[in-house]
Amino acid sequence: MSVAMERHDEIPPGTLYMLILRSLARNGVMHGYEIANFIQQTSENVLQVEEGSLYPALQRMLVKGWVTASWGMTAGNRRARYYTVTARGRKQLDSEIARYGRVGAAIGRILGTA
Amino acid sequence: MEWLGRLGRRLNMLRGRREFDDDLGEEMRLHLELRREDAVRSGMAPDEANAAAKRQFGNATLLAEDSRAEWGWAWLEQATQDLRYAVRQMAAMPGFTATAVAVLALGIGANSAIYSVVNSVLLRPLAYKDPEQLVTILHRGVFPASPANYLDWQQQSRAFEAMAAAEYWSPNLTGTETPEKVWALRLTPNMLPMLGAKPLLGRVFAAGEDQPGADREVVLGYSIWQRDFAADRTIAGKTILLDGAPYTVIGVMGRDFQFAPFWATRAELWAPLALGPRAANRTANSLRLFARLKAGTTLAQARDDMAAVSRRLEREFPGTNREVVVTPLKQNVIGSVEMPLLVMSGAVGFLLLIACANVAHMLLARAASRQKEIALRLALGAGGTRLFRQFLMEGLLLGGMSAVAGLGFAAEAVKALVALGPAAIPRLAMVGIDWRVTVFCLGLAIATAVVFSLLPTLQARKWEPGAALKERSQSAGGGAGLPHTRNLLVASEIALAFILLIGAGLLVRSFVTLRSLDAGFNPSRVISMLVSVAGSAQDEPARRENFYRQLVADVQRLPGVESAGAINHLPLGGDLWVFPFQIRGRPEPKPGESPRGVYRLVMPGYFETMKIAIVRGRAIAEQDDATSPGSIVISERAARTYWPGEDPLGGRISFEAAGSGTRTWLTIVGIAKDVKQGDWAADPLPEVYLAALQNRSFLESPMSAYLTVVARTAANPAALTAAMKNAVWSRNPNLPISDVQTMEEVVTKATAQPRFEVILLLIFAAIAFALAAAGIYAVVSFSVSRRTKEIGIRMSLGATQTKITRAVLRQGLLLGLAGSAIGIAGALLLSRLMAGMLFGVRPSDPATFTVVALILNGAVVAASYLPARRAARIDPIIALRQDG
Repeated sequence: MSVAMERHDEIPPGTLYMLILRSLARNGVMHGYEIANFIQQTSENVLQVEEGSLYPALQRMLVKGWVTASWGMTAGNRRARYYTVTARGRKQLDSEIARYGRVGAAIGRILGTA
Repeated sequence: MEWLGRLGRRLNMLRGRREFDDDLGEEMRLHLELRREDAVRSGMAPDEANAAAKRQFGNATLLAEDSRAEWGWAWLEQATQDLRYAVRQMAAMPGFTATAVAVLALGIGANSAIYSVVNSVLLRPLAYKDPEQLVTILHRGVFPASPANYLDWQQQSRAFEAMAAAEYWSPNLTGTETPEKVWALRLTPNMLPMLGAKPLLGRVFAAGEDQPGADREVVLGYSIWQRDFAADRTIAGKTILLDGAPYTVIGVMGRDFQFAPFWATRAELWAPLALGPRAANRTANSLRLFARLKAGTTLAQARDDMAAVSRRLEREFPGTNREVVVTPLKQNVIGSVEMPLLVMSGAVGFLLLIACANVAHMLLARAASRQKEIALRLALGAGGTRLFRQFLMEGLLLGGMSAVAGLGFAAEAVKALVALGPAAIPRLAMVGIDWRVTVFCLGLAIATAVVFSLLPTLQARKWEPGAALKERSQSAGGGAGLPHTRNLLVASEIALAFILLIGAGLLVRSFVTLRSLDAGFNPSRVISMLVSVAGSAQDEPARRENFYRQLVADVQRLPGVESAGAINHLPLGGDLWVFPFQIRGRPEPKPGESPRGVYRLVMPGYFETMKIAIVRGRAIAEQDDATSPGSIVISERAARTYWPGEDPLGGRISFEAAGSGTRTWLTIVGIAKDVKQGDWAADPLPEVYLAALQNRSFLESPMSAYLTVVARTAANPAALTAAMKNAVWSRNPNLPISDVQTMEEVVTKATAQPRFEVILLLIFAAIAFALAAAGIYAVVSFSVSRRTKEIGIRMSLGATQTKITRAVLRQGLLLGLAGSAIGIAGALLLSRLMAGMLFGVRPSDPATFTVVALILNGAVVAASYLPARRAARIDPIIALRQDG
């Protein structure tokens, strides 16, 4: 199923929400394509999302109330659904970043002992 | 509260589901387009860009599905899909659906109706405070006690918080629109508080209101308050006339209050019971005693307590305290109907089982014909779980429809039961379908339908999709297990129907035997009416005799009347007074061992009018008046019991106890044939007929200021009603007339309960019979249509039509006989339980068993004959070509 190209790395499992939240937190309002592009470009094309999988993730975040969505117009004057992070979403982002930091540091320590 | 917000968002999504799909589609499309445009812009060929965008995006359909699934409504969507599919399935086979729903609804409806009755009559607690603590204290559990016993028991027992007495009373209510004889009770003032009964208006009796003189108060029942007093809310404090005496209304009871719950159930007016000088009486047993157990006291302890008390009193006053029985009040109420109702519940349960079996093999047959569809769906990747859910939904739908139809049917059936039910069934009028019955009905329907809808999936899961699809012929269809299941089902149906038919057959025989009993009188063309003079000008002893003498003479003269007479208590329709007497020339009997007789007072013409044969001697006649020596007619039973091997004619008896001053000795002038007395099925007790006009107590006592006038007519007795009433009211328009009824009606009422039972069980048995026959028909014709090819081969190999017919008939008959064998065993076991409902027929009555076996197997042969004929007409050439 994966269509990731060889030169790209797949994003680590469980971090997609964090990445999306981070993108939105930084840029304010974005639609799906913008989010995908942002993640790709900001990671200097290292992180590659199976682009479509953004959408189930966004839906789950809508259910959880981390983001809200509303329809707007793109620069090219097309209808697009724009996502905004909510207060709860920011809290979630903070805790995910903290957790990621802890886990990363721990992994780093283990790797450092080698 | 986070979950609440989430639920709100989820519900919102559910509401705009179509919009959701559109939005998601648009969003994804935009993504793909933007990606493609970017790729083109960076120099990719349009085709390639398109493919790359799609590749990079992933499976859009799957992703859309996943997106939707995030909202957690997948189960609902699948259920809706399953439901839609189930509805299409049902609609595609309207005949099947209608039949299955009708059969199940019938079974469920009948069960709900009977369960409603059982629930209201047997299960629901009595409408008093803590009713499980209430008991009755009666001689032999049924007979009333004397005032002195009541007072002694109350004083000496330890087990009861309270003990109260009730005495039957039937005063004339006058001063209202029509004079009326009402059903009433006199109660000790502690009765209503003991029951926890609160009045709707006013108050109930206070302690001390049972003193003679202070007892002129009444509490009205709701119905009489509505009927005769226009629901007057200011009635408390007003005065009404009972037996001509003024009584102050002190309260009105609520609509739901009924007392007594057994015996005198129609009482709708209560007054204080003032014992006065009767308090010392140890022989006049007229009080029914009710008591409340002390908290923590068991029934067994109360029984021990009363046994000790009555043993002591029996030693002190021999013959007055025998067989004193403490019974839970509820037992008194439901005692006589418990067994019949349980038998009916069992019968109707069988009916449901038969209905289920019928629907089950319908569903199995359908599953067999849907085998290819199922195999196809399995092959296309439907999971076993998904199929299971599909069948579950079909079951739920079928069950739901049956439950709705069943409830509708039950509501009508309950109305019919209440209308048809004999008055003797307590609390029947209060039967209704309540939520418990509704839940019971729904549960039953759905459980039934679901279980039998899922049955085929047990088989379906074993099917190899490949094998089933390859199988082109239907001849082996249904799988090896299914015919066995169906045979088993239909054999059980027959067995159950057999048992029901035996039950119905036994009741029919019993009822026929009952009806063939000789009443001892001829009820046809006789009309009766109860006329009371209590409290009127005619109540005075001097005028009472004259009044009744003239009334009977007036009725006698009415056109169409052949003869007329009168009696205090009509046989079967009236009270039974049993009094002890003494026979002249015999030693004084020990207390409690005196001869006893059902005590009747008659006017001349009674025997002739009722056509009660005088076996020897003569009837009570005109000559037996106040101026002549006392005469008495006794029944054959009395003669046999108390004058065995002697001639009672000319003998003399007295109803006054020795030492009660002057005794009146009555001379036996005749012996009459035995007559049915209270209970139609019971053996008559010894009975004595006194001349009313010679009887001082009758002429003077306020307790017996009434007679029932009977008249034999030349034609329709009911046509005489108006003229008879007029004969009374032309003498005094304020006299109440009650119980105007023909003797045919009286006899019908006396056998109402067995008739009700026999009708009910006959209906159940008839439905069971029809369903079982339909079951046989379905199974045999199903197997014939499956075996078309096999039959074709046999015929082409030389089997004759007769042979084929026989083979098919044999199949049906084997099922019938197997079912009958199980049925006989089951019926022998179960029919014993209804022994108490039977009269003159044994539960194992061979005639009934033989007839039922013949009828049922006859029906089996008839039901198999149609498919057998079809089988015999199979054209081998067509059959062999059929279906490759």
